[in-house]
Amino acid sequence: MKGLFYQLKSVWKDKFCILSFLLPVIVALALNFIGGIDLSSVTEYHFGVLENDLSDKTISWLERYGSVTIYETWEDMTNAVNEPSTYMIGVLADENGIQTMVSGDELDIFRQTADTLPALYRGRNDAEHINVTVLERPDIMSGLQNIFIAITLIVAMFMGCTYNAVNMISEKENGVDLVNQILPMTQSGYVVQKIFVGFTGGCLSAVLTACCYFRLPPGNALLMLALMIPSAFIAALIGLFIGKFSESLMSGVVYIKIIMIIFMAVPLVSYLLGTDGLISTLCYFVPSSASFEGIMNLAAGEQPVVTSVIAKDMLILTAHCIIWFLLYLSISKWQKRRVLTI
Amino acid sequence: MLGNFYSLFKKDCQMMWAGKFFLVALGSLLIYTLFINFGYIHYMNAELYNVYLYDPQETQPEASERIHPVSSMEELEAALSSDADGVGIDASAGTPGIVIYFGSEKSDNHRADYAISLLHPGNEYTAQIVGTNTPESKQRKEMCCELLFVELIAVGFLGIASVLFKEKQMGVIRVHAVLPFKKGLFIMAKLTVFLLSDLIFAVLMTVLNIGFSDAGAILPAVLVQTAILSLIMALTGFGCTMLLKDFRQFSLAYVVIVIFASAPVFLSANTSIKMAWIGWHPFYHIYMGLKNACFGTPVTNPIYYICSVCGIVILFLIVQAAFRGEMGKEN
Repeated sequence: MKGLFYQLKSVWKDKFCILSFLLPVIVALALNFIGGIDLSSVTEYHFGVLENDLSDKTISWLERYGSVTIYETWEDMTNAVNEPSTYMIGVLADENGIQTMVSGDELDIFRQTADTLPALYRGRNDAEHINVTVLERPDIMSGLQNIFIAITLIVAMFMGCTYNAVNMISEKENGVDLVNQILPMTQSGYVVQKIFVGFTGGCLSAVLTACCYFRLPPGNALLMLALMIPSAFIAALIGLFIGKFSESLMSGVVYIKIIMIIFMAVPLVSYLLGTDGLISTLCYFVPSSASFEGIMNLAAGEQPVVTSVIAKDMLILTAHCIIWFLLYLSISKWQKRRVLTI
Repeated sequence: MLGNFYSLFKKDCQMMWAGKFFLVALGSLLIYTLFINFGYIHYMNAELYNVYLYDPQETQPEASERIHPVSSMEELEAALSSDADGVGIDASAGTPGIVIYFGSEKSDNHRADYAISLLHPGNEYTAQIVGTNTPESKQRKEMCCELLFVELIAVGFLGIASVLFKEKQMGVIRVHAVLPFKKGLFIMAKLTVFLLSDLIFAVLMTVLNIGFSDAGAILPAVLVQTAILSLIMALTGFGCTMLLKDFRQFSLAYVVIVIFASAPVFLSANTSIKMAWIGWHPFYHIYMGLKNACFGTPVTNPIYYICSVCGIVILFLIVQAAFRGEMGKEN
């Protein structure tokens, strides 16, 4: 207990440590106040037209499919079509209707859209009389908005890892690690103390981040907390692994960077590409995949679906907690035994 | 003076070699190259929507070959639920009706009209091509530019800090106060090492990922942009190291810079999301300069280059002042 008190005291004295725990909270506040980023422009088409070329009626017809930008000259429009960050389709008047132009480097979907646009224009009157039934599905835009906050939450939980790793490496560099080895303290006691600080910091940071962004009903808030606790625990534990295997602060930061990228990229790519089968199972080997899935479901899903998915995610996270904790303890014991025999 | 510079340069190279900086850069180059050549260009693809037709009375004899016929309403529903971007045409009542899952208002209009157009296909039309890149070459250039930017911002910045903090903590910087050479040489030697390593990295990255023949034409412009970014990042890293107490404080500044400098820039420069204030973000202009150089349309606006040079000079003066302050510290 006394050891824990000293650990917390050292955190309290380190203002930069507190700031790093607060960083995700600041990002969540910013996201909350700015109101997120307007992602609607990503899914719609972009058309470029020349001034005084197409009729107003044709431009209104194009606006049914996406945004229309008017350019004064041919060069301006060609440059906009060739601009690599957008997939703009140039539309020009033709004696029989319209003709289109593309850069030639876009994804197939945009090239095919440009190829078929004149046919759509010719059949525009027939299409008006067709009965269209639109079925409901969850708003994909709100899903995309939630990605930002889910990733911020993962970073918040990950702060415990960063703190623990940096703290242990500093102890190593200052020689405190050697003193610790002769202190009358068990290996598991030391590990628990170390995990506790990173875990508490990561948890608090994640809870504050979630409070800043989400307005969840009490049941879901409890489930969110139940997800955060094992996630922050694993992050803190991984911090200990990094601390153990890093020789210097520089190599520690490189390890932290690599693991942070894996923690963020694996669930994100798996979510965006909609992986299933073996690949999706493999993704669960990265603990943040289960956390990410749970957070996304809690942020968007219905109550019955949430409970079953969260149960699965919590089971995976608990398994990670137990396996990594036991692995760490056995590695520590093995190393200590080796030192004693030497 | 040249001899002094050479010995400082040699010492920095040795320190970076010992700190495994070159190994980290080489490892990053290998990972990026593998990712671009075996991952990114193979997985980035998207086709136009699939159209499913349920037409038990065969009222649509002209339907295009691109339409997937289905034999029952259940099959149509199953196809749409597994392919939510797909479009269903239900012609069981004699006249075709569209069934789609909601995407967004504008894309729904296009999906419905596209599906109807496939029922009466006319002559095949091919859009006019006005660009010079193929989809693969564009993806290669785009990803190469993004990774080069990340590498220069993240790894270079971190590298200079790791070397300098060691020297700062060991008191080597204060020893320079009594050495008989110009103080600016210390900064120049550090900048030269990082500039050279970044330029070599940029050359290898461009050649390995864009191809030797294409890289030849764009390389001079890419190197100019790399030099600008490299100098800015090295000077910022140098300044942060002088002003901050230890590596822990630096790592926080590093996270802030990486998150706030690169995230909005990537969003604005690579997607159609355009934030109104992004024009004020200096990294946005540098990133666009690098990207335009990769695509063979280097920035010709002299204001950009004048601002870059001024920025570098101002940073250099700040760093020099901070360096002198650090040398004069008593404890």
